[in-house]
Amino acid sequence: MPNLPTNLPSNLTVGGLSDRSFLRVSGLSKRYVRGGLWRKRVPVAAVISADFEILRGQTLALVGESGSGKSTVARCVARVERPDAGQILIHGRDIARLSSHELLPFRSGIQMVFQDPVTSMNPRFSALEVIEESMLMDRHASANAEKLRDRQNHGDQENRRNRARALMVEVGLSPDWMHRSILDFSGGQRQRLALARALALQPQLLVLDEALTGLDVSTQAQIANLLLDLQTAHRLTYLLISHDLALVARLADAIGVMAGGRMVEVGLTQQIISNPCHSATEKILASAKASAAKLSVVTGASS
Amino acid sequence: MDGRTDHLMTFRDLAVTYNVDERVPIRAVDGVSLEVRPQEVVGILGESGCGKSTLASAVLRLLAPKAKCEGGVLFRGRDLLNLSKAELRAIRGREIALIAQDPAQSLNPVITAGSLIGEVLRAHLALDAGQRRERVMELLGEVGFGRPEEIYSAYPHQLSGGQRQRIAIAQAVACRPALLIADEPTSKLDVSLQAEIVELLSRIRQQHGTAILIISHDPALFAGFADRIAVMYAGRIVEVGSCFEILGRPLHPYTQALMRIATAGMSAGARASERLPTIAGESPDPGCLPGGCRFEPRCSERMEVCSLRYPQAFSPEPTRPVNCFKYGE
Repeated sequence: MPNLPTNLPSNLTVGGLSDRSFLRVSGLSKRYVRGGLWRKRVPVAAVISADFEILRGQTLALVGESGSGKSTVARCVARVERPDAGQILIHGRDIARLSSHELLPFRSGIQMVFQDPVTSMNPRFSALEVIEESMLMDRHASANAEKLRDRQNHGDQENRRNRARALMVEVGLSPDWMHRSILDFSGGQRQRLALARALALQPQLLVLDEALTGLDVSTQAQIANLLLDLQTAHRLTYLLISHDLALVARLADAIGVMAGGRMVEVGLTQQIISNPCHSATEKILASAKASAAKLSVVTGASS
Repeated sequence: MDGRTDHLMTFRDLAVTYNVDERVPIRAVDGVSLEVRPQEVVGILGESGCGKSTLASAVLRLLAPKAKCEGGVLFRGRDLLNLSKAELRAIRGREIALIAQDPAQSLNPVITAGSLIGEVLRAHLALDAGQRRERVMELLGEVGFGRPEEIYSAYPHQLSGGQRQRIAIAQAVACRPALLIADEPTSKLDVSLQAEIVELLSRIRQQHGTAILIISHDPALFAGFADRIAVMYAGRIVEVGSCFEILGRPLHPYTQALMRIATAGMSAGARASERLPTIAGESPDPGCLPGGCRFEPRCSERMEVCSLRYPQAFSPEPTRPVNCFKYGE
């Protein structure tokens, strides 16, 4: 395996596949081509040979400045993008090079939640339709016998509706709001709805791309707590993308730091925060600490 | 208020109501009174939907036509709500300038950065093309670009988010306005860039004595920058005080809860999988507000009187009005 990042703790075994390993990414690379048509085509390396591993039921946060490649990693893991090189092992099965048809059985297991959920939802849909849609899509996608049995389980409309109702309750939305347009929901409520939609397919891995960014301080804390509850209840594995180290430090078991398309450091949260080894980590940590320090100067002064 | 002359801008019992279709009229801002003194940085702290952006837009009358304003917004003794369009145009960008939340949306994508700034100068100042270009270069340097010539001819899409926000700031300060209104100027940026933008605004205030009305949901943004903070909840100001008072010793239960969350963010021994403090519930639907105190349904210290009527401002300390029955009845 090429260029292992430094600072790897022993229980994040990247070399040998530990049996608790849920997702293992190695040598992941992705280039985009800028330009084209009349302008010169210039390849831009978004991610260069990224390696990391997440254990089942745990959270890995990818932090880095904008443009560092963290979202590209997320999109490759969710296979919204096809990586140019490298492996993405889910339960030991490499999905990095699978065709869209071969990916079908994996799709429901990996769900993605975005920063601005409303741009990923049909604005004419009600909350129920948003949740229902993913169940219907899954039915279309699945042709194998196991899923056929599943279809009988939640195939009919009444069942789907009941499940949607239960999901809304689980994410903290009133089921009375089922028929409201998603445009009537606040930012935090939309993010809850996005989580309900993702959970409808009983995924094992949630890829949360800046899912807490842009929310109010209090809403952010509520959604963060919801993520923790859901993780415990469903033994979910999270790949959490964020530029806010202070926030993810509270949620993640391990942190990977990205800079210039490379994964420059991976380690347990506590280790990254107390003993950063790479200058990029130090920089991100310094700005998080500076903002906390500024606040504590003010809050400490008169309390 | 008698000492109006030493106020640069005063919101006097401002109310903004949106009448959308046949639905219940929504009173997004409900009786806000607040003053901004010359050279002062005033922060408005509140969560989304509390009316803080409506308040900011009301100053320059940038609200949708369906919004109705009552009360007054006095700027140097003139009520901005009664000005003609031409009078208003002379003030916008010249005396009061706005920095929008998302520069990617507020900058015209087919105009270069240099022309975007030059455009503001052309609208208000009599400069020839050469002088204008020189002035734009100066402004680009002032907002922190080391090589202004390169930025001058760049289009917004060629710039990063932080660079775009700097262009927006250069536009805003181009005519040396007396008041800057910054509506969540950093919420779309990385943590490290946020600090840089606040530093830049702080420098502009020091160098040119520009008063700033800054709006944010994040108390950390105000620390070390704002002089005074007004806390808004569901369309009303619930507490006003100095930056130190509001962040360090908040009196309103809402502000207290907010500060518990903000200071828990990066506690030294941050441990994974530990629940964060929150405020239960959601802010009320502006179409159906509680009859009493608007924070009452979420408040951990609610009393019987809280649901009966809205608390007037009490002054537990001479300079600190707080709308909460904890401090009187």
